[in-house]
Amino acid sequence: MLGPRIEGERGIALITPTLDHLKRNVEWMTRPETTRFWGVRAMDLRPEHAEKRFGENATDPTLVNWTIAFEGEQVGMTGLFHIDWITRDAESGIFIGRHDLYGKGIASEAIRLRTRFAWDELRLRRIHNWIAMRNRGSRRANEKAGYRQMGRFPRSWYRSGQWHDEWLGEILNPDWV
Amino acid sequence: MMRAERTPRLPRDNARVLGGIVRGKRTTLRVPTEADLTGFARWAADLRVRGALTRAYWDEPAMLATWKERLAKQSEDKSSTLWAIDGEGALAGSCRVEYAIEPGHFGNDGIGITHFTIEPDRWGQGLGSDAALALHRWIFDIVHARFAHTALAAHNAGALRVAERLGYETYARGTAVHYGDGRYVDGLQLRMDLTTWDERWGATEREYPVPLGEELEA
Repeated sequence: MLGPRIEGERGIALITPTLDHLKRNVEWMTRPETTRFWGVRAMDLRPEHAEKRFGENATDPTLVNWTIAFEGEQVGMTGLFHIDWITRDAESGIFIGRHDLYGKGIASEAIRLRTRFAWDELRLRRIHNWIAMRNRGSRRANEKAGYRQMGRFPRSWYRSGQWHDEWLGEILNPDWV
Repeated sequence: MMRAERTPRLPRDNARVLGGIVRGKRTTLRVPTEADLTGFARWAADLRVRGALTRAYWDEPAMLATWKERLAKQSEDKSSTLWAIDGEGALAGSCRVEYAIEPGHFGNDGIGITHFTIEPDRWGQGLGSDAALALHRWIFDIVHARFAHTALAAHNAGALRVAERLGYETYARGTAVHYGDGRYVDGLQLRMDLTTWDERWGATEREYPVPLGEELEA
């Protein structure tokens, strides 16, 4: 499913994704600056694959996708994935493609908006995620929204000649009854 | 100008998707067939099995025709392997593992155990421990995976005992992940490394107890 527009603070908003947004995200994902903490930058880069994936994202009832906009421009994407509508649990993810904008609090605000939507509109009960231990910025952004560490996965992935651990986080809906 | 010859297509898919024979002491992991599906279907609908709360069963309850479709799909799924488990001459369970097939995908060279079921009427006889040990011989001694991982609900004491005896360690505890029987239960994520397998089981659980091929030299 594609998420609705949600206005945030400081010029940040979650907006409904388009096919062009997805194509730009994929192009950003080929760059080492934006994928240092995940990904080998080898993927199906054909335009027709992007179209297929966009169609699947738009119709898949187990995910909600947004484009992140800053001052009216696309800067990345975020979403809730693998939603289990029975246990009301989901996995979250975020990607900022504009690495020149790192450190401006865009991810923090996007996570805050996404989490509020998960509680107030989707009535989810729990969200969990995996973040590279070394990705301090992403961990901090999630912790600011209320995520807490529930575990650590050692030697999860290999990059730049080293093994890297992964941080496992979770957040529970404080108003769940 | 010479044209480079096309690289011949390698036979990469050798029957990984339905598992071949792995022998334990009292159980055998073998290729599942349609004849096993009534057992699989019965366990998936059995509340004793479903009480594990994680997906101990292969899939959701369904009609036999759906189970046949699932088996056909499984036989084409190159990212997982399904076995039937025989115990002392009769179908006793099933298990399934998944692995990444894309480069750099999370869990690359790790294998996840997604389903592991023993016929509930035969619980407590040690068949699960024996089959689990055989499965891990496949994971570590044959595939040479770097690690195995699985998820269990925190109240599943029997499965946790088997996992801990094998050498699993809990690396994450999720709060109130599962719901069943009127209460929430925490979810545990567990992992076992190849080094643990070698230390704990390497001396006794090799598929071939002598260096491979040596028995043919005599």
